[in-house]
Amino acid sequence: MGAAAALGDPRRALCALSVGAADRAVCQCGAVQCPRLSPTKVVLPELTFANYLKIFDPYYARLFGRTLRLGLVTTAICAVLGYPLAYFLARARPRVLALGLFLLIMPLMVSTVIRVFGWIVILGRKGMVNQALVAVGLEPVKLLYTETAVVIGLVNIFMPFMVLPLMASIERIPPSLEEAAQNLGASWPQMFLRTIMPLSLPGLISGCLLVYSVSISAFVTPALMGSPRERMVGQQIYDEVLVSFNWPSAASLAITLVLFTLLLLFAALRVTRRAGRLEIRQ
Amino acid sequence: MPAGVELDVRGLTKRYSSQVSVGPISFEVREGEFFSLLGPSGCGKTTTLRCIAGFETLSAGSISLRGVRLDDRPPHRRDVGLVFQNYALFPHLDVFDNVAFGLRLRRVPTVQTRERVGRMLELVGLPEMAGRFPSQLSGGQQQRIAIARSLVLEPRILMFDEPLSNLDFKLRIQMRDELRRLQRRLGKTSIYVTHDQTEALALSDRIAVLSHEKIEQIGTPAEIYERPATAFVADFIGSSNLLQARIVERNERGTVIETQGGLRLYCAGGAVDSAGGDISVLLRPERIRVAVAGPAEEGEPNRFPARIAEITYLGEDLHLNLELAGGQSLRAALKNSIAAAGLAPAQQVHIVVDPDDIRLLHT
Repeated sequence: MGAAAALGDPRRALCALSVGAADRAVCQCGAVQCPRLSPTKVVLPELTFANYLKIFDPYYARLFGRTLRLGLVTTAICAVLGYPLAYFLARARPRVLALGLFLLIMPLMVSTVIRVFGWIVILGRKGMVNQALVAVGLEPVKLLYTETAVVIGLVNIFMPFMVLPLMASIERIPPSLEEAAQNLGASWPQMFLRTIMPLSLPGLISGCLLVYSVSISAFVTPALMGSPRERMVGQQIYDEVLVSFNWPSAASLAITLVLFTLLLLFAALRVTRRAGRLEIRQ
Repeated sequence: MPAGVELDVRGLTKRYSSQVSVGPISFEVREGEFFSLLGPSGCGKTTTLRCIAGFETLSAGSISLRGVRLDDRPPHRRDVGLVFQNYALFPHLDVFDNVAFGLRLRRVPTVQTRERVGRMLELVGLPEMAGRFPSQLSGGQQQRIAIARSLVLEPRILMFDEPLSNLDFKLRIQMRDELRRLQRRLGKTSIYVTHDQTEALALSDRIAVLSHEKIEQIGTPAEIYERPATAFVADFIGSSNLLQARIVERNERGTVIETQGGLRLYCAGGAVDSAGGDISVLLRPERIRVAVAGPAEEGEPNRFPARIAEITYLGEDLHLNLELAGGQSLRAALKNSIAAAGLAPAQQVHIVVDPDDIRLLHT
């Protein structure tokens, strides 16, 4: 494919830039499978928005809907579980903090495949969870290869992305503010809602942003732990690049995902800028 | 329980580890009183305050407010206001919301909240600051808002944890006087923690002097200054000449002592019991009279020739280092008056010590 023609269309340019070298090799093998395209070329040098319009097809719309929903659920669970953990670590003694951080970052240091096998042992048909359910006389449930399993896997690996920024902003809140709130009559939960939460909002926003953007672009975890019929956008892009060789379509999905993430980022920046003005100046 | 006692602290003890502990500390704070806990850093005064506020749990002892046990209640149900050293204003709330914080937690109606916050801001002299954020206020203004935030809840007791230590010198004096006026006007029982003796002397009705996790003496500012109970109190409050001495003679007119520097002093005050006669003697520098050398007058028992070793000029005051015959050295403080104008280093003078101004203490 001609580089000049490709550069005319930014989305094909992106595609050509990233896989430009492989492009020719693939074409010469004649292994193109996508029937809508030329049998000798992965990319046709014609400008079209068809690849973007198709995102509104029910299949792709469901794909995006599922991806964004799983991202949202993962982010929400990370926030709910991460807040107490971040608070605990931010106020912990140095030795406890070191141990806690090590445990927190551990999942990132383990190969995804090994981690997933670990989850299979726990969540599988005859896994630990189901054995426990059977032992107390309940029906076993299907956990592995469901959306639940995907969310569990994503929460497991992306928790540090939530906890670290939250921790950083909680650390900057002087403990005397907590005591002042309690002295003025706030119970611990009231204190948390009225001082820690609003003052660590910038950390919460960055944590959510990080977790959400890495969750919606997740590939390995949904591929290994999710149902093949309920895929996420990352898997679809992978398939369209390497299985169906429909690179323009893959590029349009990728760009849509990037644009969506950027949109979130700017929205978050606007909110944090407002919140940043209220941060502690000392 | 005696009438008028607001807060009763009995045997307060806080153990952090086998080595570090505070107490046992016992004291009573009377209704409407301004009570100070004074001591060097690490003496346990802040720990005591934090125990009363509920941020530390007691290892032993009890705290009662008007006869009701306080120490088993969580911090938010104690009804004691605390003004923090760094003010601890909420940076995400403006002045109005800071002051209204406690009222909103108590679900006070909006109209009433607005009225009470307004009245409080009026009281601390900052009614026009309601819309400002804490970061837009000076240290002194933050201090007043912190006081208003506690006072608006009408707590039984208002406590201050070194509230003036972050202010510069002039502002500190100004806030100190303001604080005293405010406290006198409201008649609010107050506990004030400080390491600054002038603050404690200027503000308090009574002072508890602490050292090494224990109370050394409780008394009015004058009692603490004029009749310190221990050598530590004498040394900590004000500047002092603290001399080692032994009792030479005792009769109905007073006591004769001799310092290690060989100075023989007649003291009018009641003598302390001391095995072997070893005691400490306190001479306040400002109570030592310095006279230009001349013949001794009749009836002046403690008159000694001395040589001025050094003069420190402090504007309002002059501090003299004096050397006496026998090698005893003393510090004296004089007002910078005409009488002091002629003094110069190496000059020979006489010093006179009134027998009533000498305090005998246990070593």
